[in-house]
Amino acid sequence: MSVADVVSKDILDVRRAKIIWAVAGLYTLVTAVFVYWGTQARPPEGWSGVYMALWNFVFVGAMFVPAIALVGAYLAIAGERESGSIKYLLSTPIQRRDVVLGKYVSRATVVAASLVVAFVVAAILSLVWFSEFPAGVFVGLALLTIAFALAYVAVAITISAATATRSRAMGGVLGFYFVTNLLILFGQLSILGALEYVLNELLGLGVGDDPIQLVGMLVSPTHTYLNTTLLAFPDGFEEAMLGGQTTATAWYVEPEAALVILLAWTVVPLALGVWRFERADLG
Amino acid sequence: MIGLVVVTSMPAIETDGLTKRFGADVLAVDDLDLTVEEGEVFGFLGPNGAGKSTTINVLLDFVRPTAGSARVLGLDAQADAAAIRERIGVLPEGGELYDRLTGREHLEWIARTNDLQESVDYEATLDRVGLTAEEAARPVGGYSKGMAQRLAFGMAILGEPDLLLLDEPSSGLDPTGMQEMRTIIREEADRGATVFFSSHILGEVESVCDRLGIMNEGRLVTTGTIDALRDELDLDASVSIEVDAVPDGLAADIESNEGVHAVETDGTTLTISVANPTRKIDAIRRVDERATVLDVRSTDTSLEQLFNTYTGNGEGEPEPSAAGFAGDETAETAAEVGR
Ligand SMILES: Nc1ncnc2c1ncn2[C@@H]1O[C@H](COP(=O)(O)OP(=O)(O)OP(=O)(O)O)[C@@H](O)[C@H]1O
Ligand SMILES: [Mg+2]
Repeated sequence: MSVADVVSKDILDVRRAKIIWAVAGLYTLVTAVFVYWGTQARPPEGWSGVYMALWNFVFVGAMFVPAIALVGAYLAIAGERESGSIKYLLSTPIQRRDVVLGKYVSRATVVAASLVVAFVVAAILSLVWFSEFPAGVFVGLALLTIAFALAYVAVAITISAATATRSRAMGGVLGFYFVTNLLILFGQLSILGALEYVLNELLGLGVGDDPIQLVGMLVSPTHTYLNTTLLAFPDGFEEAMLGGQTTATAWYVEPEAALVILLAWTVVPLALGVWRFERADLG
Repeated sequence: MIGLVVVTSMPAIETDGLTKRFGADVLAVDDLDLTVEEGEVFGFLGPNGAGKSTTINVLLDFVRPTAGSARVLGLDAQADAAAIRERIGVLPEGGELYDRLTGREHLEWIARTNDLQESVDYEATLDRVGLTAEEAARPVGGYSKGMAQRLAFGMAILGEPDLLLLDEPSSGLDPTGMQEMRTIIREEADRGATVFFSSHILGEVESVCDRLGIMNEGRLVTTGTIDALRDELDLDASVSIEVDAVPDGLAADIESNEGVHAVETDGTTLTISVANPTRKIDAIRRVDERATVLDVRSTDTSLEQLFNTYTGNGEGEPEPSAAGFAGDETAETAAEVGR
């Protein structure tokens, strides 16, 4: 199986690269800091501090996990194209599709493994620092965060498959990170804020919040991820955190729909990456 | 490897009107019709930028032709790329190896992707290309250029492929390395492999190729055995004879002999151009009858001259006297090249 050949070689290769371990180590450290911070913060009435820690952890993840995923994968193919080693790779019976999928699997494995390490560290610290340990919430969040990371790995692999040099791949992932992450996470400045302003304030269309949320999920895996995390928290916690102001939402912005969109954020980019790479000139 | 039914007369490589453009202005390969028979060692010669690598890249499906088609081992280069690669060994141009993997890991990986783990002998392969076991245990990032090239060559020949596609295999090798490489190419041909390799080093082609093709500015300007190309061009062979003194009338006398094209006198040295190398000894005898010969230097049409003629490089252009003998076909080719 050629995909497996790509995976085994690539894992052998990247696990000797230091950058991946540096970023993953940093993430683990930040996670630990936030778990500690949860012990100091004041949780809402009737909830343990551990939920606070996990809630904050989601936001740390929303910023950091894409960075880990993008750094871990953006050179996977473009780097080989620039150095020319892709010619050795493709001198074997391996097909181009296998290269894209194999690189995805290998980088996804490495990124997921480093997230698992961070989660295990966070779990151990929670056991030590908090009286309560909500294992279900922990595991749920871990799975969602990994799915989130894998979507960004898919995007990075696709950008990598569509660019011929390291610098272009880097430009591509930086641009994507900026637009889908930083511009989404920061409230009034965000793309969605701008969209709402244009549609409703300037054009007076009176578009509801739900369609705008949907657009958010379609342009940003990060936005999608944040919506899915409600699946992991116990009922009522979100209301407690946000001061009891949740409103009924359309089915297409329910967390379940968000999960489907999150998975699509892996499948669609990868399909696009395979399509692009199969047509590329590698001369 | 796949047990395909092989028709004996099927060419190993066949391109038909193959054309590759990069962007609007670069015509890298221009309507190339090339056939390499099974079992041949074929040297693919041409100056920088001639289009050799682009042709090889099309055969490997790294780049897609703008027009025309290519077949490798009877299979379509694009549609059957994976099947082709199961049966070929490749030394690509300008590809770096994986810095963090060891030499041996590279070989193991090639064996694995080709399903050869059981059958290959890594030690023997390393030994053939001149790498020691200790060197093979080191990460390739620390290899010298020649070591990396040797390893890449080892990766190409691993598992006895039916066809070797080697893009400038000698680049980065020292003279010993080049000699070893030529020996291996010959050995591979002897076991029945077809070898197709590009080069601009003429000596390499001469000693190891059954046939060669010369490419220039995207076009195949000629193909044939070295002897055939020499004959076709009818380039002079010449001999320089140093004597104690040149007697009067000797030059004119020699020139009147059959098979002698021209005689030049420079001080005490006579340079005699003859129609073919067998006439040289005649010329030397005649001079020896009339004067004391101190030294004899003989030059054949050097391959360099041949190469320069075809690639319009000026220096090696045949003398006007020789051009008169050239058939129309050759003259046409030379004119084409000169454009
Ligand atoms: N990817 C590319 N994009 C644009 N032009 C290219 C590309 N690859 C090759 N060319 C051009 O095509 C022509 C043929 O190049 P090619 O590499 O095939 O030559 P070559 O015969 O292998 O030369 P060398 O002996 O230097 O290796 C050159 O003019 C080169 O600049
Ligand atoms: Mg070349």
